[in-house]
Amino acid sequence: MAGKKAVPYLLITPYFLLYFAFGLFPILFSLVLSFTDWNGVLPKTFVGLKNYIRIFTNDPLFYKSILNTLMIIVVTIPAEIILGLMLAVFLKDFFSRFRNVFQLINFFPYITTPVAIGIIFQILFDWKTGTVNLLLAKLGIHAVNWLGTSTPARIVVMIIVGWVGYGYRMVLFLAGLSTIPEELYESARIDGAKWIHSFWYITLPMLRPIMLFVVITSIINGFKLFDEPQLLFQTASQPIGGPDHAAMTVVVRYYEAAFVNFQFGYGSAIAYSLFIIIAVFSFTTLKMMNREREV
Amino acid sequence: MKTMIAARIPVYVFVTILSLVSLIPFYMMIIMGTYVSEDLYTGLKLLPGNYLVQNFKTIMEQNFLRFYGNSLFVSVLSTAGAVLVSALTGFAFAKYDFKGKKGLYYFILGTLMIPAQLGLIGFVAEMRTLGLANTLYPLILGGLANAFGVFWMTQYIQSSVPIEIIESGRLDGCGDFGIFLRIVLPVIRPAMVTLSLLFFLWSWNNYLTPLVLINKEKLYTIPLAISTLGSEYRTDYSARILALAIATIPVLVMFGFGSKHLIRGLVGGSVKG
Repeated sequence: MAGKKAVPYLLITPYFLLYFAFGLFPILFSLVLSFTDWNGVLPKTFVGLKNYIRIFTNDPLFYKSILNTLMIIVVTIPAEIILGLMLAVFLKDFFSRFRNVFQLINFFPYITTPVAIGIIFQILFDWKTGTVNLLLAKLGIHAVNWLGTSTPARIVVMIIVGWVGYGYRMVLFLAGLSTIPEELYESARIDGAKWIHSFWYITLPMLRPIMLFVVITSIINGFKLFDEPQLLFQTASQPIGGPDHAAMTVVVRYYEAAFVNFQFGYGSAIAYSLFIIIAVFSFTTLKMMNREREV
Repeated sequence: MKTMIAARIPVYVFVTILSLVSLIPFYMMIIMGTYVSEDLYTGLKLLPGNYLVQNFKTIMEQNFLRFYGNSLFVSVLSTAGAVLVSALTGFAFAKYDFKGKKGLYYFILGTLMIPAQLGLIGFVAEMRTLGLANTLYPLILGGLANAFGVFWMTQYIQSSVPIEIIESGRLDGCGDFGIFLRIVLPVIRPAMVTLSLLFFLWSWNNYLTPLVLINKEKLYTIPLAISTLGSEYRTDYSARILALAIATIPVLVMFGFGSKHLIRGLVGGSVKG
């Protein structure tokens, strides 16, 4: 009997061993590092809260990176969710035969390596010869220096992020849709409900749990944005974070501090500040979405 | 009947446009790989060019097979390991009662909220101390304990493995591990396929971790090799794009075959949460 009791603990042991060794330990070690000054080679010196004080009082780039990240999130998350949801609902209701094909096609951007996306969009949005500017010229619009000026650069990053992300949201919503019992729609149809009514009064409320999941993970992932802005401007030979740091996200700032300037202590403090910000935003969103439900 | 079809037209237009938007950059990637780099900047190319073989040779000369090998090694091992660990852990949480179960499960859920970058500096320092810097092992080890996978497997096993078939297995004299292998694993195949697809994709496309951990050229994974080597040597865009297209195709084929499983595997998991 004693042997039996040990079974579940044996089953979960690999996970927890691996998590403590390669997940939790580095996280706690980074916390310690965030109170030090360390370049990775010389001995660490303990500096107390100095790194955090510098982040919040003397690092304009940090604030700028938060603002940039917020702008990107505020535009892309609603766009991805609306496009993904509409696509999922349409595919489920109107595309019984080719659903799998369209589902796969719209998932392509999410599958494609960010490195490829960086190069493709750099060529598409090239100032002198890019396809986008060639098309704009045909419409009589002056060529935009997309990757060399701040606001257009930020817009390109938003386009990429949205383009990459809506297919993933579509897949999550499709999964959510398939858990809604078909009888609900049947009885609505018998009562004479139009498609839009079924969507509004059955589909949307029933998707609530998955919507919550999608919103929260989108916020967390949104704050982690790194690959696209980093690779886009790297291939376009622009400074880190794009022109005038317009597309510098928090994680790009973190990467620059820790792995370009080798300020491991300061970089760790940025990571922890980001963590606090993500926690605040996720918590607030959860609260807001739950209050909405009660009203 | 006619109005029905007319009402559907906007829907078809919407889905078609969005699908084209998804497809065009992807299509361009394949087409661009068949041109000379200089031609990439002379307007939109819609038809394949005739430089495919030449670009392919350029890729082979730059030792790209080795980078594919590196990526494959890392992605296959980390995916297999992470799926197995997730399934074992999920099985325990879904079908056993034990002291501290709730607390441990909420602990794992809580770690889902922690961004992976939080421990990156500590991880790099740890790997250096262990003498694993500039090997491929950190890229595997870092991904084995995946909270998302555990959460998913727990939900899936809870909803799709009835307690009766576990009991009947026990009556037939199966041990706990035998039950896991012979009864649970076959039932949770859809979830395992889904998780494998996602884990493989995330590992295959991972850019930040190898970027900060690996600085020996012969250990580069594909994303790192193409983003780093391309800017160091001649900026041969079309060869790089062809290399990326070739790197994307295996994942594409996997998702093509697993597409049906993807949704089914998702349904039993996170969605019900």
